[in-house]
Amino acid sequence: MTNVNEQGRGGDPIMPGSALARALSGDVVPSLSPGFGDRVIAAAEAHTAPLPALRRSPGRWSGWKTGRRFAVGVTGVFVLASAAAATGLLQQLAIPVPSAKAVWASIAGTAQAAPAAPPAPVVAEIPATLAKVENDGSIDTPEELGVAFRRVDEVRQGRRAERAQIINQRIASEIERRRIAGLKVPTPQEEARLRERIAAAEARRQQLADERIAARREAIQRKVDSGEALTREGVVVPLRARPTIPEGSPDFERLRRMSPQQRRAALQAMPREERRALVEEYRARRSGAVPAPAPSPSPSADSSPAV
Amino acid sequence: MNASGKPSLSQQIVGSGEDEPLVERLAARDCGALREVIALHAKRLHRVAWRMTSDAQEAEDIVQEALLRLWDQAPRIAARLPAGSEGTGFRLGAWLQRVVTNLAIDRLRRTRRLTHSDFPEQEDETPLADAVVEAREDGSLARALIAALPERQRAAIVLTYYEELPNAQAAAAMDMNIKAFESLLHRARTGLRQAFAEQGGVA
Repeated sequence: MTNVNEQGRGGDPIMPGSALARALSGDVVPSLSPGFGDRVIAAAEAHTAPLPALRRSPGRWSGWKTGRRFAVGVTGVFVLASAAAATGLLQQLAIPVPSAKAVWASIAGTAQAAPAAPPAPVVAEIPATLAKVENDGSIDTPEELGVAFRRVDEVRQGRRAERAQIINQRIASEIERRRIAGLKVPTPQEEARLRERIAAAEARRQQLADERIAARREAIQRKVDSGEALTREGVVVPLRARPTIPEGSPDFERLRRMSPQQRRAALQAMPREERRALVEEYRARRSGAVPAPAPSPSPSADSSPAV
Repeated sequence: MNASGKPSLSQQIVGSGEDEPLVERLAARDCGALREVIALHAKRLHRVAWRMTSDAQEAEDIVQEALLRLWDQAPRIAARLPAGSEGTGFRLGAWLQRVVTNLAIDRLRRTRRLTHSDFPEQEDETPLADAVVEAREDGSLARALIAALPERQRAAIVLTYYEELPNAQAAAAMDMNIKAFESLLHRARTGLRQAFAEQGGVA
């Protein structure tokens, strides 16, 4: 028997002709028993057929790889959706985000019938009637002043109606947003009470504005009656010169020009009596008990009609 | 060529480049193909199994099981072969060689485990000792020397010495890398020489 083992690999090979080689070659391999092939063929024919191959090759995409990709995808979508919901992005895009309570109610079957289709969010439009009233020249006569007052009144009426419309739209859109989001929606009684409070606040604001404008108009009327020509600068009151803060008071002027934080610190640093006097005077001015002082003569670009 | 003048298993395994059509026929449940496989490989597979187990009946069972495994797995093997793949490197003889080697190792281990666990108090009555004694009585020192080796070392000697496989093919038949196989072969040769020396021989 020839030894073809590679030399020097796996130790010293068993050399042909050696005593060990002769000992290993001393036996004879028996032959296969007769009919071995027939027995194997019979066993193969009687063998149960193997199961059909899997539809998908198991080696290319194992179940774990596919499952891992699926898990990573689902986790990524969940994280992105959570981040979008947390930052309010979905709400800005008018995509409803149900609360946990609403989801549980839908699972438990106790959810209320959802609206057929969520209406588009109501967007308040700025009406054209809110445009500023421009004076096209000086006002010399009471008739011209009357015309100017009527034009201003028309604009104010339009602004008041538009303001009421915007309030209604905001209330409706907020209620709709809460309904879509599954939040608590005010009952009709609660909504009526809310509208009453808003209307009362608006009425108080209008009353203060009417009183302030009436006083302002009386002053202007007196100027016209005395033959003084009114210019734009004489009619328009600069915003920073609004008479909510009495003029002539150095403390008010100084406080008015401060930032809120500086103003709060300055008020705290004031003597108690002085601070109380300033607050009382400011409240009286806001409530209209004290007549508004004369407008500031200094014109300003940041101004609007105050009549 | 081996001592008998017939092509060695190594030559047969390497030279069989037309096994794909045979596998295709086996996958199509062609019994004639299985008969051809038996005619081509059964004797050599039986020789390896007998060298490993020293039991003619056991060797026949191992070869039959290997052939039935081929019959079962032929559709899967054929599916892995590319379409029209003649000469793709698939060697049926090597595949059967690996199956027979592993089956023989498994049977030897099972026999040893059952013997040691079921009859722990029986002194010197394991099949290994019995085989040695029987071999001495038969005058076949070769079987005694081979039977004295552990299973994997026995397989390494059978494949490289008797079947004349190159180390690379023998390592593939035992599912080992070449370095590990050469280490195993070195230990097997050393153990064989020691056993032969204990029998009074000079290697």
